[in-house]
Amino acid sequence: MPEIVSTLGFGFLAGYAALNTLVRTSSAVSCEAQSVRDVARTVVSYGESSESLFGDKNTVLSQLWAMFDECSEPDWDACGAEPLSGVAAGAAAVFIRALPSGVPMPELAPEPNGSISLDWIQSRHRMFSLSIASTNRLAYAWMDGTDKGHAVARFDGTKIPTRILEGIQSITDHGDTRVRAA
Amino acid sequence: METLESGLPDHVADDEDLARFLIQSNQFSIQAVKPAAFMPNPKDRETSVSRQHREPSDALWAIGLKAAGGRTLYGATFVKAQEVRNAGLEVTAAEPPPCHAVITGWPWPEDLDMQRAQQKEFAIELASAAGKPILR
Repeated sequence: MPEIVSTLGFGFLAGYAALNTLVRTSSAVSCEAQSVRDVARTVVSYGESSESLFGDKNTVLSQLWAMFDECSEPDWDACGAEPLSGVAAGAAAVFIRALPSGVPMPELAPEPNGSISLDWIQSRHRMFSLSIASTNRLAYAWMDGTDKGHAVARFDGTKIPTRILEGIQSITDHGDTRVRAA
Repeated sequence: METLESGLPDHVADDEDLARFLIQSNQFSIQAVKPAAFMPNPKDRETSVSRQHREPSDALWAIGLKAAGGRTLYGATFVKAQEVRNAGLEVTAAEPPPCHAVITGWPWPEDLDMQRAQQKEFAIELASAAGKPILR
């Protein structure tokens, strides 16, 4: 199965991290090396200024990486859970970045199979939960009063599948008893 | 009906409380437990719970700390056995350790993505039934 999300997500983040390292640690002195470093600094600077424009996303991404650190060893739940997948974490980051403005940010949770759960919990009876693993297919389920269901949708790494966006919005667009993690 | 080493009957009655201990800080918020907290372990295809009442809390946390095995125990969330069965799953006693039980009957289709989707629908039902967690 093609790993579109894996490539976009983990590859992008690994590349960004490498650029950061280059900018912050390189001691190269040649003209060519200096040019590479200047370009890298520009890219990193652009990325950081973009992040400052999207504070909510930045906050959730920080939570994602903190959770990944906490659950990167087997048995993090004392019940034999698998470690969170780095590919899944990268894909979750790509998904969060792709969320259109105006869509509430999800809460995050680790799953025992190494996947990342993104949850929109409006109340006890209104929630939308999405599972991101190391494939380009997103598993999701919802409860909206007595209506419930589940499905799988393909994610190309750029555009959130319409069915998923509609599902999130139908849960979050109305209701006054919003329940969100601190 | 047989009695287990803990003194509990071997059949989990519908009106029994089942505690799911919260050992990872992202499994809950102050007001809700997240569906992922109930997802089954892929190795044994079960979700571990303890046949515990909310009170006395000392006894609850003593068992929870043993279950946590040195990890941080943040709290517990509760569902009734009947709510598990109403969702289409089953709960059976599984001692030792004392009071241990397992939620079984999770769907395991070969398509791994569909597997997660189907299990998540059940997990949402359990999270909905559980409501607010009790935090230490």
